[in-house]
Amino acid sequence: MPAITRAAHLLSANKTNPLTWWLAGLSLAVMASLSSNVFVLIGICVASLVTIKLCRDDSPWAQSISFYIKLAAIVIALRVIFRIIFNLGSSTKDAFLLLPSIDIDFGFGNALKLFGPISQEAFTLALLDGFRLAAIILAVGMANSLANPRKLLKSTPGALYEIATAISIAINLAPQLIASLGRVRRARSLRGQSKGIKAVTGIVIPVLEDTIDQSMGLAASMSARGFGRKGNRSNTQVIGARLLAFLAICLIVTGSALLLFSPEQQTLELVILFVGLVAAGFSVKLSSARATITRYRKEPWRLGDVIILASSLALVVLAFGGVFAK
Amino acid sequence: MIQLKDLSFSYLKSDGSKVSETPQLNNVNLSINAGEFVLVCGPTGSGKSTFLKALNGLAPSFTGGVIEGELIIDGVNLIGLEPHEFASKVGYVNQQPENAFVGDTVIDEIVYCAEQLGLPISEIKTSVEKISALLEISDLLERPLATLSGGQQQRVAIASALVAGQKILLLDEPTSALDLEGASEVLRVLQRLSSEEGVTVLLAEHRISRVIAAVDSVLVVHGDGSVTKGPTETQFNDSRFAPPIIELGLKLGWKPLPVSTSSANKKWTETKPKYIAKTPFAPTEDVLRVQNLEVNFGSVEALQSTSFTLQGNQITALMGENGSGKTTLCWAIQGSGTRTKGSVITSKGETAELSSNERLEVITMVPQRAADLLFLSTLSAELEESDRFAEVKPGSTAKLFKSLAGRIDTSIHPRDLSAGQQLSLVLAIQLVKQAKILILDEPTRGLDYSAKHALAIQLNSIRSADRSVLIATHDIEFVAMVSDRVLVLEDGKLITDSTPIEVLGAGSKFASQLAEISNEQGLISLEQVQL
Amino acid sequence: MKFIISRLSITLAGFGSLLMFAWPLLIAQSTTSETQLAQSVFIVLMPLILLLILVEFATGDISSKQLALLGVLVALNAVIRLLGAGTAGIETSFFLIILGAYVFGSGFGFILGSGSIFVSALLTGGVGPWLPFQMMGAALVGLGAGLIPQVSRAWLTKIYLVLYAVIASFAYGALMTLWNWPYLAGTGTQISYVAGDPLLSNLTRFLQYEIVTGGLLWDTGRAITTSLLILLTGTALIATLKRAATRAGVGRNT
Repeated sequence: MPAITRAAHLLSANKTNPLTWWLAGLSLAVMASLSSNVFVLIGICVASLVTIKLCRDDSPWAQSISFYIKLAAIVIALRVIFRIIFNLGSSTKDAFLLLPSIDIDFGFGNALKLFGPISQEAFTLALLDGFRLAAIILAVGMANSLANPRKLLKSTPGALYEIATAISIAINLAPQLIASLGRVRRARSLRGQSKGIKAVTGIVIPVLEDTIDQSMGLAASMSARGFGRKGNRSNTQVIGARLLAFLAICLIVTGSALLLFSPEQQTLELVILFVGLVAAGFSVKLSSARATITRYRKEPWRLGDVIILASSLALVVLAFGGVFAK
Repeated sequence: MIQLKDLSFSYLKSDGSKVSETPQLNNVNLSINAGEFVLVCGPTGSGKSTFLKALNGLAPSFTGGVIEGELIIDGVNLIGLEPHEFASKVGYVNQQPENAFVGDTVIDEIVYCAEQLGLPISEIKTSVEKISALLEISDLLERPLATLSGGQQQRVAIASALVAGQKILLLDEPTSALDLEGASEVLRVLQRLSSEEGVTVLLAEHRISRVIAAVDSVLVVHGDGSVTKGPTETQFNDSRFAPPIIELGLKLGWKPLPVSTSSANKKWTETKPKYIAKTPFAPTEDVLRVQNLEVNFGSVEALQSTSFTLQGNQITALMGENGSGKTTLCWAIQGSGTRTKGSVITSKGETAELSSNERLEVITMVPQRAADLLFLSTLSAELEESDRFAEVKPGSTAKLFKSLAGRIDTSIHPRDLSAGQQLSLVLAIQLVKQAKILILDEPTRGLDYSAKHALAIQLNSIRSADRSVLIATHDIEFVAMVSDRVLVLEDGKLITDSTPIEVLGAGSKFASQLAEISNEQGLISLEQVQL
Repeated sequence: MKFIISRLSITLAGFGSLLMFAWPLLIAQSTTSETQLAQSVFIVLMPLILLLILVEFATGDISSKQLALLGVLVALNAVIRLLGAGTAGIETSFFLIILGAYVFGSGFGFILGSGSIFVSALLTGGVGPWLPFQMMGAALVGLGAGLIPQVSRAWLTKIYLVLYAVIASFAYGALMTLWNWPYLAGTGTQISYVAGDPLLSNLTRFLQYEIVTGGLLWDTGRAITTSLLILLTGTALIATLKRAATRAGVGRNT
């Protein structure tokens, strides 16, 4: 099947923009959450898995597929099991599964009536809910398996530049840490095995000291190469950005509260939330505009990205049109 | 290019007062020309590193302390500014490049400084092309940093320090973690940068012998606050940090001091100094027998079948290049390392069958990173813990440590000790256990000449207590100083088991510097030379 | 001025995030589609609010030294979490978040908490809609730990820290169970939330859900392991971290 191989090559994880896969994954997740058709849901699960299989590279995050499959299976099972065990009042008339019921009393609240009759409708509904969650999990799993988090960190907004730096330092340090844990554990036996407290600290402390020393060297090297320059922003700009962020948070919290306490008026709340979202976007943008840092290599958008994005966009539009609803 | 006027630097105690009466740098006045290649040296702890860091603001920003005076770079006084303010003018490279990397690939790393300074993309592009050609890394740009050799990594670090057009380069012991080949790659590049590109290079090093012939001038940080700068011949009146070649010249009173092997060799043949033969120590009984020891990691043969015995009252050196299997052999002998075949018999039996605490009664070992064994927060706590574990009289470890390292304030944090002092501490902790056999894995890493001398004296006293010491190292001069017997590993195979004179003598692959200078068969170490 | 607005924003956002966890307990009577809308909206809003708080802390001028320390602790935490993961109730990452936040302050703690969860999720796979909620939970644990008063007596420090560890373990557990409650139990079972029901009856059902799903057992496990690790390593780790703080010239800042 050379056509499929060629396509997979075009779309492979290291040839596409990491944002592309996240947008595709989220599109599939949106599609799943809007659908009540079990075939569509199963289709999303299968499509996600096949895409991972075809497009992944050999990076560590690409090996997590089994975790997502297990999780999806557990979620489906739990949803159905909860329905069977804690089912609420199906009548015996349209029962699809008739189990003897058991009463259990915690001493507070209502006593629980476990098992009992379950209607087919309740059962399929639970199964459908389970599949919907599974489809969302696998779609996100696909994005996570195919998008290189290091590349993703490079496209974070400037306001989070420092935190993204700390995270990439951590990602780089983690494998070294595992290696030095092994080394220190072996070295510890040369000093003699002590018991209890010292056994734990005897390993953790040397590793931590070592890593801190290393990280200070790294920080020095970053500073010596210009990290930490502050842009020339006026005080008004700084305060403006903070005020805008405050406004955004106020709007979001108010919108959420309204959504909970008067769920009927959805339009107003969604408008408030939308304005909050826009304010948040601007405040992040304003906070990002400080030291000018060049990004020498931006991830380009290639043909593969366009294909993936166009097809996910089409799916989302169709989903909102109600095509996959039933 | 660089001008220091009355520059002073002192460390502060946590209560804000100055640590000592004499500042680390005291009223330093000197100037360095554009394109000058300067070697920065001085005894351990004298403040070479602090001096370099003071030139780009890392001291006091990363070390604490106060700096005063004038630091004029390119005509502008930059004293008291943060390191990032120096970034466009001064590049800085430290000991272990892999710890200072922020990127994943070579290109990410190189452009980092230019990105931080906000240079336009077109300018970065030209600069990257030029600098990577200069440092011979053009074909490595897309490679992940972790896949590079040490020498390549260090050249990438240099490129990334110069990418924004910096004309000053500070290097803090850039070759100390490299093997011979990697170190010479780096030195070649530095020479070219200073002579062809007009970059001012300040290089702090303690393996001076390699560099000394290449530099324009030598700057000495004396440790008492004073700093002097001048031509090579005039700067080495202090033997605490002098390499063997200078030490020889000083000992024999040669004037002018020869700084290259060839000039020293000429002087030697002219003057024909006297020297005594090396008298080996007589071995006592066998303490350890290695039989057909073999180690494989998967399909890789790390150690091919090896057999030898170790005797008491002996210091045996185990030599070989990086990756030849020295560390593997040490751990296999100790008993807790991987073994595929063979046995290691001691007075307590097979080491692999002993529990880790039983092992310590016959065999103790100091691993490559001695500090891995330290985990308490004060020196005194470490010393007491050691007494408790070894079940010896309280104060025994402290007494031993004092004999090795001198008197040291015991409330200090063990990590604040120098590399040499940490080694002495771990050595004391291991020796107090009274085992007959001591294994040291690369003990001289990070030690300067005076610390190595001190270690040699310590090892001599250990040997005289009828113990057997095995030292894995590739430090030729150190082996020449202390060993009674030399084993050589090559690609996991024991190829030589002989006397130091044989292995380190003139004309051999591992010839010591003194053997090279004198070209005499029986002469390998400075101690043999008579006045 | 800037500082005051920033703290106000963080406090308000913190409460907002609690709302997004606890919504099944609070939501007024509504139709299925209305609750589903709320549920989906919060999935989008939680990462946003997390991001806004992180920006507030990040714009407080983090030095490269603090970043490096953050990197170290996040990495160590992620690795420790990898090693401890999988065994029921053994939660090995909380003690370091608490100790780190205790030494370096709330802002550091918030970033440390969220960063640890994020990195370990990246390394093991575990990125999903739940991730922002887990990150927020752990971030709040760090935030709180940064507010524990620093005292000179070691035993008192330990008491404070262990007390906090126990409270934080159960609170974090409750938040995470609250989050998965509407997803796993759905609506219409005896242990599901009922929109518009009085808070108390929803709370009762939530407690029953916690018990039957074994959530409380996990929380107890987390409380025990975290307290034990703090008791065992607290003094030594705090000494090491404080030494690093002095060396880096960074103190505790809230």
